[in-house]
Amino acid sequence: MAETKRACIVGGGMCKFGVRAATIFDMLQEATSALSKDIPGLKPQEIDGLIFASTTAGRNSNSLNTAPIVAHRLGLKPTSICVRVDTLCSGSNTAIILAKGLIESGIAEVIMVCGTEKLNMPQRWESVYMNLMTNDHDWDSAMGLAVPPPFFGMIADAHMKKYGTTKAQMGAVSVTNYDYGFTNPLGQFGGRKLTIEEYLDARTVCDPFGLNDCCPVTDGASAVIIASEERAKAMTDRKLVYLRGTGQTATHGMSAGWPGETLADWPHLKKAGEVAYKNAQLTPQDIDVAQTHDCFSISEIIEVEELGFCKKGEGGEFVASGQVRVDGKTPVNTDGGLLTVGHPYGATGARQALEICKQLQGRAINQVKDPKFALTHNLSGVCAQHTVVIYGTEPVK
Amino acid sequence: MAELQSAKLYGVPQLDGRYSQVLDMWPLESEESNRLFPFYDNMKQGRWTTTKCKKCGYIHYPPVVTCTNCWSEDLEWVDIPKKAKVVSFTETMAGAPLGFDSPLIVAWLGFDKSHPLKHLFVRIINCAAGQLKAGDEVQFVTFEVPSIPIDVKKDVKVCDRVYYAFEPVKK
Repeated sequence: MAETKRACIVGGGMCKFGVRAATIFDMLQEATSALSKDIPGLKPQEIDGLIFASTTAGRNSNSLNTAPIVAHRLGLKPTSICVRVDTLCSGSNTAIILAKGLIESGIAEVIMVCGTEKLNMPQRWESVYMNLMTNDHDWDSAMGLAVPPPFFGMIADAHMKKYGTTKAQMGAVSVTNYDYGFTNPLGQFGGRKLTIEEYLDARTVCDPFGLNDCCPVTDGASAVIIASEERAKAMTDRKLVYLRGTGQTATHGMSAGWPGETLADWPHLKKAGEVAYKNAQLTPQDIDVAQTHDCFSISEIIEVEELGFCKKGEGGEFVASGQVRVDGKTPVNTDGGLLTVGHPYGATGARQALEICKQLQGRAINQVKDPKFALTHNLSGVCAQHTVVIYGTEPVK
Repeated sequence: MAELQSAKLYGVPQLDGRYSQVLDMWPLESEESNRLFPFYDNMKQGRWTTTKCKKCGYIHYPPVVTCTNCWSEDLEWVDIPKKAKVVSFTETMAGAPLGFDSPLIVAWLGFDKSHPLKHLFVRIINCAAGQLKAGDEVQFVTFEVPSIPIDVKKDVKVCDRVYYAFEPVKK
């Protein structure tokens, strides 16, 4: 039997995230330009595969079958794969799972994973209205489920009732991620600080969420290179970062299929984590730094629990006691997370992967001391799907 | 704005009054479009129904054409109980999606053990903001939504539509 190849993340780039006067193709070109500066040894001709993530390209950018257009606009001529994936908020993280498989199997050697979304439309109503189509249209959406704050508000309510989580603990998530995001010039809220007083005084979005509990509406694009170990070595002198394990779960399309006993329990995330840890031959205690999907403050609290960084029900205290800070037990969202960098759905996974790549190579802005193993996580839709990818400076033996 | 619209300089002039499904917030409900049309036909009679598998007995929600438990196509329509309790809710005071009035009240419902559903996300109507409480009993209620035209050979058929939400049970 032929020896299985190993897949590595080499580096990447992103455009400025925010309310952008730009199309998805403009932003993808900016991200690619940044990527070329991050990996000077990479030539466009070396890239044999493109996996492009976007959910709203067909609707917000009038572009169905978008992958060939992206290839053309980025000067790529793929020969192994050229495809678009649509898993909403986890788009480019899903693409990374696919890229890992294609490289380990020998089908591809060097894949660009990129993602983008144009969510700020010429008129504001349209971005809210479009979200009706990102849920189960004929069922939950017809009940008024469009943008997610009301659903996650009920999740927060459930967690507060069941586990005693407080508004101040949710505020600790936001304040911590604003502290991290302050130093990220490409984030939507880069350069902004948030105090707990400002957090508590912010206008209500929907109970119990204030403005700073929610990630903003963001345009953006990001791109990373996933390559075989041999090609990664030829491309860069930096430390190699291996893709060790992945897991992805989907339990339901609409609310009737919610898998938890209450909204505060996310067994589908726990399962995705278990699968990824098993594949990566690691445990939650091995993870030195993580990027989890902080679409809302409460999300990060539940994620650190279900991913095993702390006990179930203790996520609020874990964050509030500083365990997710750069010198804490498990630093989380060290580039500012969705709450401050913003969340252009398909671009978020690659943005997280790029931060983890930098952390493991020792070149992040908010650098954790000597990390060896790291994790990224996305949830998609109204918590319908969970995606986990685990990286390491050593491959699985 | 009206002048702009009448002059067709605004919006999508080529639609000229035609229906576009792309922007429709409601389901296609008629038998020309959807094999689950009995769900909507039953709803027009005030019934809340779903499919039950005759082979394995599993009750689905939403209803299906093929059983999600055993993949049999041998299904029947059954009525399901129309009352539930509010576990949690939120009231969106402004900024509800186009087509929904503010305040938009949505709730997470819990059903008792005899019900095939465990929980469900729903809209609450016929209820003023500030009135609903966790633990309140609510019931299934239907309402009309806009009819749509469907081309059937050389004719246009107008399809009337309904949808459902929940409302507080009067004490």
